[in-house]
Amino acid sequence: MLTFARRTFIVVWKDLLVERRSKETLNALFFFALLLLFVFQFAVGPDRERLAGTLPGLLWLAFILSGLLGLGRTFVVERENDCWEALLLAPGDKSAIYIGKLAGNLLLMLVVEAILVVLFGFFFNLDLGAVLPALAVVIGLGTVAFAAVGTLFAAMTAQVRARELLFPVLLLPVQAPVLLATVKATEAVLLGEPLGSVAHWLKLLAAADVVYVAVGVLTFDFVLEG
Amino acid sequence: MADNWGFVLAAYGLAAVVLLSYLRFLARGERTQTHRARSRVSEPLAPTSGHPRSKPASRPPLQ
Amino acid sequence: MIRPIGGVTLAALAAGLVMALGVAPREVTQGNVQRIMYLHVPSVWVAYLAFAVVLVGSIAYLGRRSEAADRVAHASAEVGVLFTGLTIATGSIWGKPTWGTWWTWDARLTSVSILFVMYLGYLLLRGMIEDRERGARYAAVVGIVAAFNIPLVHFSVYWWRTLHQPPSLMKPGPGTMPEVIVAALLVNFAAFSLLYVYFVARRVRLLRREAEAVG
Repeated sequence: MLTFARRTFIVVWKDLLVERRSKETLNALFFFALLLLFVFQFAVGPDRERLAGTLPGLLWLAFILSGLLGLGRTFVVERENDCWEALLLAPGDKSAIYIGKLAGNLLLMLVVEAILVVLFGFFFNLDLGAVLPALAVVIGLGTVAFAAVGTLFAAMTAQVRARELLFPVLLLPVQAPVLLATVKATEAVLLGEPLGSVAHWLKLLAAADVVYVAVGVLTFDFVLEG
Repeated sequence: MADNWGFVLAAYGLAAVVLLSYLRFLARGERTQTHRARSRVSEPLAPTSGHPRSKPASRPPLQ
Repeated sequence: MIRPIGGVTLAALAAGLVMALGVAPREVTQGNVQRIMYLHVPSVWVAYLAFAVVLVGSIAYLGRRSEAADRVAHASAEVGVLFTGLTIATGSIWGKPTWGTWWTWDARLTSVSILFVMYLGYLLLRGMIEDRERGARYAAVVGIVAAFNIPLVHFSVYWWRTLHQPPSLMKPGPGTMPEVIVAALLVNFAAFSLLYVYFVARRVRLLRREAEAVG
């Protein structure tokens, strides 16, 4: 158990170090998030009422689009630097790699999402102070689900041609229930309602998290075989 | 309004078209496989050497 | 083996057709349009059956590396997507005269649409990987994820639709349906199930021949 934890930690640490030195992914994603905000504003128009209605959806759209970009690359780094074979040859349970990658991706997505929330608050003039903890819960649950399946599928599509196409095509349908839940829950939270009112959505998200991570842990070995 | 037979027939017609198309897809695939199998049998498996071929009567009949 | 199944299937389908269009009575509220139900509901059933088989085949493949299991999963996914598409199409055609619109985000159509794109992705993945072994492995993983996602899809869509919306008009309660209608439905269930078996069997045979041809 301890070696598992250690191996997981090594994977996360490696990814964090690589990211800290190059900062390429985080910078690009930050810029992308900023651009999304502009695009959304132009697409929806200046009508404040309409904007307010679509806000939860837009926020999660932004999370998903950034997530697709960020996650899509998570194993590409390994392939580009010829570390893929090393990953395959690593002894023991491959699922430690999965958890490690998942943790790294989760961290990356949460940072980008935090930035997006701040930007949204700024551009659309929202007062998020009171709802922040509740919002954090919803975002946390939803992001774990996204990252769990995303990490698994990213490992698969890293070795396929037309990976940029196949990755979203595989991931988005699976994430449909998660999206429904998170947008509905976010809607309620932004209106100031207590988390209890959306308990069923949160339970669904928690269930999704458990299922996805469990499937990921159990099947990652098969993905990383060759 | 109550007797939209047109829609009923459209639905059944569509179902028929879809299912028959899949049937055709299967049939075509099977035909391709049969052709391939047949052409493989009639071709000699290994390249023949420069020796002259034996007389037809002495060769085993084609299966 | 396959040909007799085909024969029985054809007979069952004919019987189902007769029941649906002739024997079953004209429905009281919706009129004859309701007869589309004899297509739509069995299609949904076959789709779910197909995807359950995909799950079993996928697990069997990963567990035992059985090529046969992989072929069954592949074939079943194909037939499943076929019937899912049919479900959506017939649902839409049913909806137009009933609700005045070709499309509606009601619980069943929405759920089935999500299933459709999930398993279409499965087939796309299989199509894009040349290495047969890797294709089988990856498809199995996706098949498992998709199957476990189905209950999540159901709950989320159901809550999405019913919590602030009146429930769908289209649900005939099983207790309140006259016997003839139930009988017609059951005959069509049987016919479609046989059609599923026939299609999958034939597709598996074709896949096996294709695999043997490549060697």
